[in-house]
Amino acid sequence: MKIEDRLSLLNYKTDKSFAHITVDQNICETCPDHFCTYACPAKCYTLIEDKLNFKYEDCVECGTCVVACSHGSVSWNNVKGAHGVKYKYG
Amino acid sequence: MSEFDVIVVGAGPAGSSAAIRLASKKMNVLLVEKSDPPGTKNVSGGVLWGHELDGVIPDWEKTAPVERYVKAKTVGFLTEESSINIDFRSRKFDENRSGYTVLRVKLDQWLAKKAVESGAMLVNGVTVDRLAMKDGKVVGVEQDGDTITADTVILSEGANPRVAIQSGIREPLKDHDVAIGVKEVIKLPEEKINERFNLRGKEGFAGEYVLGFLKGGVEAGGFLYTNKESLSLGAVISMKHLRANGNTRSFDIIEEFNSHPSIAPLIEGGKIDEYSAHMVQEGGYSSIPKLFGDGYMITGDAAGFSFSNGLVLQGMNYAIQSGITAADTFIDLKEKGNFSNSAMSLYQEKLQKTFVMQDMTNFKGIENVTWGNLTHQHLPGILENVMLEIFMENGMPKRHMYKILMDAMKKQNVSSSRMISESFKMIRRL
Repeated sequence: MKIEDRLSLLNYKTDKSFAHITVDQNICETCPDHFCTYACPAKCYTLIEDKLNFKYEDCVECGTCVVACSHGSVSWNNVKGAHGVKYKYG
Repeated sequence: MSEFDVIVVGAGPAGSSAAIRLASKKMNVLLVEKSDPPGTKNVSGGVLWGHELDGVIPDWEKTAPVERYVKAKTVGFLTEESSINIDFRSRKFDENRSGYTVLRVKLDQWLAKKAVESGAMLVNGVTVDRLAMKDGKVVGVEQDGDTITADTVILSEGANPRVAIQSGIREPLKDHDVAIGVKEVIKLPEEKINERFNLRGKEGFAGEYVLGFLKGGVEAGGFLYTNKESLSLGAVISMKHLRANGNTRSFDIIEEFNSHPSIAPLIEGGKIDEYSAHMVQEGGYSSIPKLFGDGYMITGDAAGFSFSNGLVLQGMNYAIQSGITAADTFIDLKEKGNFSNSAMSLYQEKLQKTFVMQDMTNFKGIENVTWGNLTHQHLPGILENVMLEIFMENGMPKRHMYKILMDAMKKQNVSSSRMISESFKMIRRL
């Protein structure tokens, strides 16, 4: 099953006013590895025409990216107000 | 005067166990959970091993929402075309049930409910931003600019301990500390599961595999567990090795695992009903932060408490026990009203007497064996070649096992001196 189809199985309550993860594009621009695009299990990080594209809406809050990014670009906060992913099994 | 005796951050197995213990001793406890309802952001493999819940819910084996008890346990190596497994199945597990497959959304919700029934106050959907500090001491938690005070804060926030990191009481996690866990829950009728895994009634299967077919130095373990009417399948991927490879996507590894020739027939016809992912604590002893300080203690995954040696893979029992021990520590300290750093060292002292710190200490460095090059890159291939030569008849004269093994090692570029020294290390560390 493609990752896009896997993610479509999930329920999210998206917080439109608060992105719990932010990236510093200045750092990403000069990044030599973009390891985030390989590590993130929810494919939130992709390269579009060599530019890093990040969407927090698909995030499953696993915490991988903040460790994966060794360049200090990723700021990770817990979601607020019970927003974000909501598993039925876990 | 504090508003609460204790604030527990996180209603997972560690936090809820701590809250139940405290509340049942008439302590004034606030249990804060960011998800609503509890458990809906939590992921584990998962098998709950051990009987630590006895300490807080004596009848849990009859009342907890567990899926099946582990009757059959498999540990194996998978290569591209083969699988080499140890299958252990025992009637002894019928009377002495040691592991239960669980789904965390159900289990954690139930545990949190037990905490409320014991007298704890539970707030869901509330995110703690950081610890509230005064004169270098933890005096409560901060949430949206408000401070809620307590004599002690027990941090049970799981494998991604943001509150501890943001409050400066532990270092950010590094590659060595974690692995990436990816998982799917596959719906399959109960009869099909029983038939395929040779199970009856509430009997369950727990399988863990070295994914020796992965290319380019990527290292991962696979797991497959039976629930009542579903399977939990997933992979635990070494962050360090995935980075070194730099060309493999974490979510593709689960596809490679579930399409392996030995795994695919077991899940055939099943429908993937949920995909999930979470970091897994894998660093062993060296990943444990300072566990206590003025007004706080750290428990469970947030404290790096998990155990994996390739044969067993555990975390929830360590979480529950450390939660209970933290609660007991507070209860002891409450009498004198002293929650300073030096008083709080009682937590470490008490933990040392339990399997939690004893296992972590006795198996120092085990992560270097479980995530070792030999285990993942060479051993699966060596074993496959040995088995193939022993079991494949081709009309050639038979050779001695020793010769077969030597040739298989040669093919994998593993010298006999390396094999001997690494096997010795492995045996000692396991």
